[in-house]
Amino acid sequence: MVTSLAPAPPRRPAGSPRGRLPRSTRPSLAPLWLLSPAGLVLLCVTIAPIVFLVYISFTDYDQRTLFTGEYSVVGVDQYAAILSDSEFWLSLLRTVVFTATLVGGSVLIGAGMSHLMTRLPTVMRYVVTVVLILAWAMPNVASSLIWKWLFQPQYGVVNWLVTQTGVVGDITSVNWAADPQLAWVCIWLLVVWQAVPFIALTLYAAETQVPLERKEAARLDGASEFSVYRVVVLPALKPTMLLVTMLSIIWDFNVFNQIWLVSAGGPDRATSTLGVFTYTTAFSGNVQIGAGSAIAVASTAILLVLSVLYIRNLVRSGEEL
Amino acid sequence: MTTSTPSTTRSAAARPADRAAGASRSRSHVSRRLRRIPWISCAIAAVFCVLWAFPVYWMVNTAFKPQSEMLSSTPHFLPQNPTLDNFFRAVGQGNFLVYLQNSVIVVAGAVIFSIVLGLFAAAALSRFRFRGRRTIMVFLLIVQMLPGTALLIPQFLIFNSLNLLDTYWGLMFAYVAGVLPFSIWVMRGFFLAIPVELDEAARIDGASTWQVLTKILFPLVMPGIIASSVFAFIASWNDYIIAYTFMKDQAHYTLPVWLASFSTASGGQIGTDYGGQMAGATLFSIPVVVFFMIIQRNLVSGMSAGAVKG
Repeated sequence: MVTSLAPAPPRRPAGSPRGRLPRSTRPSLAPLWLLSPAGLVLLCVTIAPIVFLVYISFTDYDQRTLFTGEYSVVGVDQYAAILSDSEFWLSLLRTVVFTATLVGGSVLIGAGMSHLMTRLPTVMRYVVTVVLILAWAMPNVASSLIWKWLFQPQYGVVNWLVTQTGVVGDITSVNWAADPQLAWVCIWLLVVWQAVPFIALTLYAAETQVPLERKEAARLDGASEFSVYRVVVLPALKPTMLLVTMLSIIWDFNVFNQIWLVSAGGPDRATSTLGVFTYTTAFSGNVQIGAGSAIAVASTAILLVLSVLYIRNLVRSGEEL
Repeated sequence: MTTSTPSTTRSAAARPADRAAGASRSRSHVSRRLRRIPWISCAIAAVFCVLWAFPVYWMVNTAFKPQSEMLSSTPHFLPQNPTLDNFFRAVGQGNFLVYLQNSVIVVAGAVIFSIVLGLFAAAALSRFRFRGRRTIMVFLLIVQMLPGTALLIPQFLIFNSLNLLDTYWGLMFAYVAGVLPFSIWVMRGFFLAIPVELDEAARIDGASTWQVLTKILFPLVMPGIIASSVFAFIASWNDYIIAYTFMKDQAHYTLPVWLASFSTASGGQIGTDYGGQMAGATLFSIPVVVFFMIIQRNLVSGMSAGAVKG
């Protein structure tokens, strides 16, 4: 899981002894000139924009400002407005529920798949790996468009297959994207489909480190496959599982393209998560960039909490910062 | 893992004495062959493979179908009369070559920019200890976890006032913002794997910092440069929403925007040209899938930095 297992170079702190010895101060300038080009660029394209975003969220920047450059500082008005807007809270709720079901579904399937892979003959395992990487590699713009075609009313193959099973009657003309619940199901399937490979392969890599003897011993003692997993494998996988889950939470919270391309947040905002709500507020309709920025700042704050938790775990699991 | 050697010897020794030693028997290579194939596991895996491969298969399948087979009430699971019409139509729709060129220019610029800058930064962050290093590392991680719109909105405004919207430079800088942090993170991992004794030896021989970097470290870190170039390529090649927001002039579309416009732009008409769209999606995905296969060894290790988003 860690980017590198090698220990950090046991270098003497180059910057600490100040001024005394010319020889020890000289190398301390090297990191400065090595870092400054990237630092300068990052300052321009990430740090400055983020600061600007926070500033804009306190103004009434809108469409007219794009042409005239005029706007006024309105203090916390934007925040007051979004916090009293039920659409904001609904979007937040949708995002949380959506993220929870996505993470739950993909981690469960991913963990099941990774455990299954350890039990497969080599050829079959190889096939599974190739299929997983194929699904993972698909650009999400392409997979979103594939999804629209799979679930297309009238000619979509999914509707046809479901109809053939005869369980729910003839649904060939059902339009998934136009129904609030079905649109969610459709997007959920899409995101889970692409999220499972990373989770399964990462957990599989971790599970191969679990000594086989322990699993065999448990099986000999008559443990069911489920309890072998729960008692022997799961405790060993816990750190990896935690990191994977947290990363999934952060990613799924940020899912945008798939929703935008499949349902565009519709029907009637039913699939509008915080990301979609921010985008539509800031860039469509009457282009309320100030309000959009306030929503973006609020969602960034939520994500920041998740990211800090993730990074703390990463450090604990041995990643050298 | 490495358990096979000891267990083979152990079971060979145990066999004459102990017939009931099922555990050690099943661990030897010979009897593992003889052990029953886990049919149930294989069946589940097969179902999984069919489900997971199906969307990709359906894309390719549709791409080769003539219009009449695509729009039939009973889907064909293989094209009856395979045709390349969809590909020709996809390439003929709009100015495919122009969009391809836009994508290539912007993506190549972003990759080169972030690899060159990232290489030096990664060297600094792995080879030197200095104040603020941890802060920088944490910052690099956090930037990647921000919601897309948090950077999109202010970048849009800034580039708007600098007249950089609808230009290659503007889009390229937006991609650098997304790609540079993880390039640094990934390459730093590769730097850390090179023993410091190498630099020290070179220094004793009188090499300057610059020489240590260019003569010793950069050549050794080549696999890292390749891996993070591929990560950077995939991330910017796949971007849809930034290009969609920044590039308003149709002549400046990149491939993902063009691909999605198959469905959004054809407003009042009968609908999307799914055949052409799937052919376009196939063409668009091929380089990504190929690159993914090349770097798949690095995939899992690069993931903790959140390098390729799911």
